[in-house]
Amino acid sequence: MQTKPPVQIIEQHDGPAIPRKSDKGLVSAWWLSLIAAVGTLLYLILVEQGAYLRLIKFVPDGIVITFQVTIFSIISALFLGLLTGLGRVSRNRWINLIASTYVEIVRGIPLLVQLFYIYYALGRFVRVPDMVAAVVAMAVCYGAYLGEIFRAGILAIDKGQTEAARSLGFSRAQTMRYVILPQAMRIILPPVGNEFIMLLKDTSLVSILAVADLLRRGREFASETFLYFETYTVVALIYLIITLILSKMVSRLEERLSFYVRK
Amino acid sequence: MRRIVVLAALMLTLLAQSAWAKTIIFASDATWPPMEFVGPDKEMTGFAIDYMKAAGKEAGFTPEFKAVAWDGIFAGLAANKYDAICSSVSITDERKNAMDFSVPYFKVRQALVVPADSKAKTLADMKGKTLGAQISTTGHFAVKKADGVKDKSYDEVGLAIEDLFNGRIDGVVCDDPVAAQYALQNDKYKGKLKIAAVLETGEDEFYGIALKKGDKANLELINKGIEAVKAKGIDKELMKKWIGQ
Repeated sequence: MQTKPPVQIIEQHDGPAIPRKSDKGLVSAWWLSLIAAVGTLLYLILVEQGAYLRLIKFVPDGIVITFQVTIFSIISALFLGLLTGLGRVSRNRWINLIASTYVEIVRGIPLLVQLFYIYYALGRFVRVPDMVAAVVAMAVCYGAYLGEIFRAGILAIDKGQTEAARSLGFSRAQTMRYVILPQAMRIILPPVGNEFIMLLKDTSLVSILAVADLLRRGREFASETFLYFETYTVVALIYLIITLILSKMVSRLEERLSFYVRK
Repeated sequence: MRRIVVLAALMLTLLAQSAWAKTIIFASDATWPPMEFVGPDKEMTGFAIDYMKAAGKEAGFTPEFKAVAWDGIFAGLAANKYDAICSSVSITDERKNAMDFSVPYFKVRQALVVPADSKAKTLADMKGKTLGAQISTTGHFAVKKADGVKDKSYDEVGLAIEDLFNGRIDGVVCDDPVAAQYALQNDKYKGKLKIAAVLETGEDEFYGIALKKGDKANLELINKGIEAVKAKGIDKELMKKWIGQ
């Protein structure tokens, strides 16, 4: 008598599993967070009133400063990061060395120390306004991180792309500009967006330079009224709301650039 | 049995210690020379520190000093992180609502520090200029109240002075012993900065030890110490030692 051959289990794959995006559901994490944050803030201002109402009248100019520092820092850091990234993949030894040294040095010093250094230590020689010092310090710090992300993005593009473009008669610069960078952009957008959000939060450190940003305004209010709990609750909620808006902008950009991505 | 004996002995020593010399933990932001600052031997020192040590000796408590940042020093008191604040706290009505104060131990005025070549004589001359001060000090409140003056708040008075020295702001308002320390005695700033004016606010301003509201026991002890120091004239010696007058 013959026994049946053991059943063979064959696993079937349709390619790698692609996780479903969380914000495709009925309610996304983003909306949930935003509604919670705005709802709490409105509740505190409209229902609790008192200290919260006074506080919300006290901080708006701080929010504007935080916004300004963030926007200017992001723009300058992007520019600096792109230069650094290109420098890091450059075939010119000297450009490469300069870019790498910049990354090594800046990445090794905490942002808070850099802020102190640029503002108080270099303040002896260059008397720049505090806002400029803040933006320069943020841009210099985040330029190094962004440079590494740009480098990773450029290196991630298949060498065949360069070979193909070069054999079609593109120059090196044209290859970079029309073939490599557009593809790299798509890859680096998520980590770059992450850096943007980190940068926004790290702008709270510039309050050490006597820049009247959101955190400093909050601290001034708290130290005068002794309402620490109320103040930092509101400051945290405002930071959360600004960050959520920025993260939405980044994810919108990601969607627009994702026409190659499998869905 | 032995364990009980050891425990009893331990309890006894603890009790005895608290009966002989109660330890009171003072918070201090040691960035306010010459009142309280960190000396070259990394120990907290200064007029107020010596004063409290003397008061402790007189009234029978051991002061212990804890370095705390000025920003949030009152929040720490409310949160029971320490028993009292000995950090050049001016007694104001707003602060009295939130905490108790000992008897005053030092009379203070606000001074305006400016670059040596400045022509300013009063706070009114600083119209349209930017004045710096340490966040939530009485100096900062005075700047905020002044008409047409832009205020800038720093975490530490030393940073404000450095910014003034670097030419980013036009003046600093702080307590007069501190102003004198920076403008007249500090090797780096001497000759570059000067005290333009001692501000007349109309009311006398005093430093006091801040305590948690309702902390009667410690308040009495500290008051007793301060009174004794004043009665014995130790405060005069300390003035001579730290402030030079």
